[in-house]
Parts: sequence; C-alpha cells; structure tokens
Amino acid sequence: MPEQKDAYKVTWKGWLSLLILIVSFSGVFAKTDGPLRALDFQVLTGEFGQVANGIVFTGKGGVGAREGFMFALTLFPTLMFALGCINVAESMGALRAAEKLFRPILRPFMGIPGASGLAFVSSFTSSDVGAVMTKGLVEDKMMTDEERTIFVAFQYAGSAPVTNTFGTGAALLPISVLPVGVIIALICVVKFLGANLVRLYLKWHAAKARAAGGGIDG
Amino acid sequence: MAEQANAASAVMKPKLSIVEEFVAGAKKGFYIGAEMIAPAMVLAYVLILFLDITGLMTIVGRALSPVMAVFGLPGEAIVALVAAFFAKAAGCATAATLYSKGLITAPQATILFPACVTMGTLIGHFVRIVIVSNANKKWHPLLLAIPIVDAVVVMLLTRVVLNVMGLA
Repeated sequence: MPEQKDAYKVTWKGWLSLLILIVSFSGVFAKTDGPLRALDFQVLTGEFGQVANGIVFTGKGGVGAREGFMFALTLFPTLMFALGCINVAESMGALRAAEKLFRPILRPFMGIPGASGLAFVSSFTSSDVGAVMTKGLVEDKMMTDEERTIFVAFQYAGSAPVTNTFGTGAALLPISVLPVGVIIALICVVKFLGANLVRLYLKWHAAKARAAGGGIDG
Repeated sequence: MAEQANAASAVMKPKLSIVEEFVAGAKKGFYIGAEMIAPAMVLAYVLILFLDITGLMTIVGRALSPVMAVFGLPGEAIVALVAAFFAKAAGCATAATLYSKGLITAPQATILFPACVTMGTLIGHFVRIVIVSNANKKWHPLLLAIPIVDAVVVMLLTRVVLNVMGLA
C-alpha cells in the first residue's frame, strides 16, 4: 500500500521536533544563562505571581478538600503546556522519528521484533494505542505470544510514562529535585529491566519445560 | 494527482496546523486536570487529613518505618504508594501532600515520584494493557507483579542517583 509507505517516511521536521522535545524535557538548559533557556520546559512553564512574600494564590496553611482543589488549580498550566507540546511534536512526526531511532535496538535490548517499533514508541504517550497495536502485531503473525508477554511487561509498568509523568505526576513536578526528563529516563530504565526479567523467566521456563517434555515424549 | 492526495488525506486524520495541534493538546491537558487530577487531589488531601486527625498516620508510619528506610523514606511514605496502587494521580498527589505537610523532604518526594508512576493504577492499566493486548493468561500473575518489582527498583535507583548528584 503506497499510503502506508508515505506514512512511515520520517521528515527533518520529525527529527527536529523529537530533538527539541527531548532537550526541553531533559532540563539540560534549565540552569544556563543564554537564550537556550527558552528551550527548557520548566523555564517556559514559568512561575505564579505572588500575592504576598513567597506565597502564591493558593495561600498558606490550607488543609483538606479545599486545599486539594486549590493545589490542583496550580497544575493546570503545566498540564496544558506539556500536552500541547507533545501533541505538536507527535503531529510533526516525532513518533515516526523515534520509531526509526529505536527499531534497531528492540531485538537486542528486549528480544522483541523491530516491527513493534511504532507500538513501542506510541506506548510512551498512550497506554491504549500501544496495547491495541501489540494485539494487532500478534494477530498479523509479526510477533510471537512469548514476545508479546515481554512487550506487555514493558508497557504495563509505568504505562505511557511521558504523558503520565506530566499528567498524573503533575503534583510532584514542582517538588521534584530532579528534572522531569531524568524521572522519565529512570522509569524507562526499570521498564526495560522488568521486561528483561520476564524475558529471562520465560526462557528459563521454556528450557525447563523442554527438559521435562523431552523425557515424556522420549 | 489531486484525487490521490485527497484519498491519502482521507485515510490519515485531517491535517491540523501547529497552533491547532497545540490547542487540542492543551485542551486534553485541561480535561486531564479537571477529570483526573483535581478529583485525585481532593481525595488525597481529605485522606491525609483523615489519617492525620485520627492518628492513624503516626501508627502506620511507625509500623512501616523499617521497610521504608531501605528506600531512604519515612514510614508515612507508604500511604503514597498505597494511593498509587489505585491511581497514579492519587499516589503523586498524596506524595505532594506529605511534602507540603513536612512529613517527607523534596528528595524523598522525588524518590516516590517515579515509583508512583511505575506501579500506579495497577488494576486499571491491567485491563487497559494486559487484557487489551490479549497477553497469554498463563503469565497474568507474573505481569501483575512486574510493575511492583520495577517500582521497588526505581526507588533504589532514584536514591542512588540523588546520592551521586549530591541532592539527597
């Protein structure tokens, strides 16, 4: 299908948007003095004005449901800005670029086929898209049942880490002493680790089954 | 030519401008805030206040402090992980509340951050990912345990990173 081929073409825009997104979320330029600061996500998120010395509009000393609600209000700008950026990067082809980048490493690092590249990359921003694509990959015989188990272990832990670290983790963004890019990277490290634990376990289990089965089948 | 282009654009979703894409994403962010974060925050703050007033927080904290000490966390921090089990947002909101109450420090909240995202919404995402992807039923218990194992590792890992960077 020609459309399919076109859809997979990675443009320079895709690479650029992926690069900017990674740089922006990694916090590498947060502490610099020059205009490069303007690329940093936290810098651009900015600050709330103060209503008194060191106190923003949520006030000080609130408790209970009211304080919870006020705190939630402070998270809206971060959420809207982050998801806006992610949406733009996706539309410019950042996902395709990332797929091209990650495709060759999937087999050695996780033991899953390179064809799962798009599902792999999509799973960073959406739990559901990744899961649906994975199901499709097995149905199309591009992935074995065992590979699916490994891949699902990867997707399930810290599902949609990019969206969720910004979205559901919004409350901790202003508190965290590590840049959000580092937090996402840490989550990704353990995601790989968990998938490989499953990979090892399945291999061990298969070897054991083969040994036992061999005895019975003679 | 034009027909071909039309057919191709009909297959893909309609092309939006960058501004429209940003606005659509920002709107999504607003709804996540209104539909997931704000309710989770209200729940978390009420829960913490309840545990605080009843004195349960101190009891839980004391009982679990030896376990949590492994991760460089006080016993009270378990409340955030329990909340995270139900929803990532609730876990993160609870950790933020513990911080604002002075029960945990900013580096300790940072240790809880990746853990809450990693093991959060365990049951909800089990359905959305493990069931939807139709993974082999034989391995469901194994898959269910993986996010918890990962969360334990990520807390230790974050603690190491904080120590290496001199932030702890």
